[in-house]
Amino acid sequence: MEATLRAIAEPHRRQILGLVRDGELSAGEIAAHFDVTRPAISQHLNVLKEAGLVNERRNGTKRLYRARPEGLAEIKAFLEGFWDVRLGALKREAESEEGTKHGRHD
Amino acid sequence: MDATTETTAIVREVSIAASPETVWELLVDPDKVTRWIGEQATFEPRPGGTYRIGVVPGHTARGEFVEIDPPHRLVFTWGWEDDSSVVTPGSTTIEIVLEPQGDGTLLHFEHSGLPSKDSAESHAHGWDHYLARLAVAGGGGDPGRDPWLDGDRS
Repeated sequence: MEATLRAIAEPHRRQILGLVRDGELSAGEIAAHFDVTRPAISQHLNVLKEAGLVNERRNGTKRLYRARPEGLAEIKAFLEGFWDVRLGALKREAESEEGTKHGRHD
Repeated sequence: MDATTETTAIVREVSIAASPETVWELLVDPDKVTRWIGEQATFEPRPGGTYRIGVVPGHTARGEFVEIDPPHRLVFTWGWEDDSSVVTPGSTTIEIVLEPQGDGTLLHFEHSGLPSKDSAESHAHGWDHYLARLAVAGGGGDPGRDPWLDGDRS
């Protein structure tokens, strides 16, 4: 999950994921959408691949990339975890506050 | 919007050893809400009033209070101001119901209107949604120390 978060924290990588979510694109086609260098795009694609967010397929001399939908299961779990953590914090704060109120009257 | 776009909800129940009144204050008092979510908050806790919560630096959630029935039921919309998110303010809804349970409170939580996993796999909206949420988590640096993940409030 940490690799996923690191991968997604970079705006260019989020844009790349948007480009390849509905179909395969070559590294060159992806790079054409950006002002940054081709090696920089290759580096981003490597990070996305290692995070399990894109699949890479070779076709002749081309490497084709496509978003990997299974990555979503982890992301959904993360979202649920977000609210679990926040609601856990709410519970702790409420119980702490209740203890303070009662403590003053004991 | 694609008519086949499905939505799903995150549903939780939390048992809290505090009165509904105490829990309610933490939900609607802008000075108290940041003790469990976000860093800064501005609130207009009345139906139709808006709120903004700076969840982490650079990422702000915004919405509108729909229903305020203290200390029982709170309904508000939820979305991100981030440019990269299609979960715009108003696009999802959170409903919190506080039910007295002995000396404490049973909190019912439902965040609805989220793209379902199935539709997310085939719809741009779903992807954008989840990616934007992840971006929030990743924004601001080392996700390994992100308080959302280790459960710490900061």
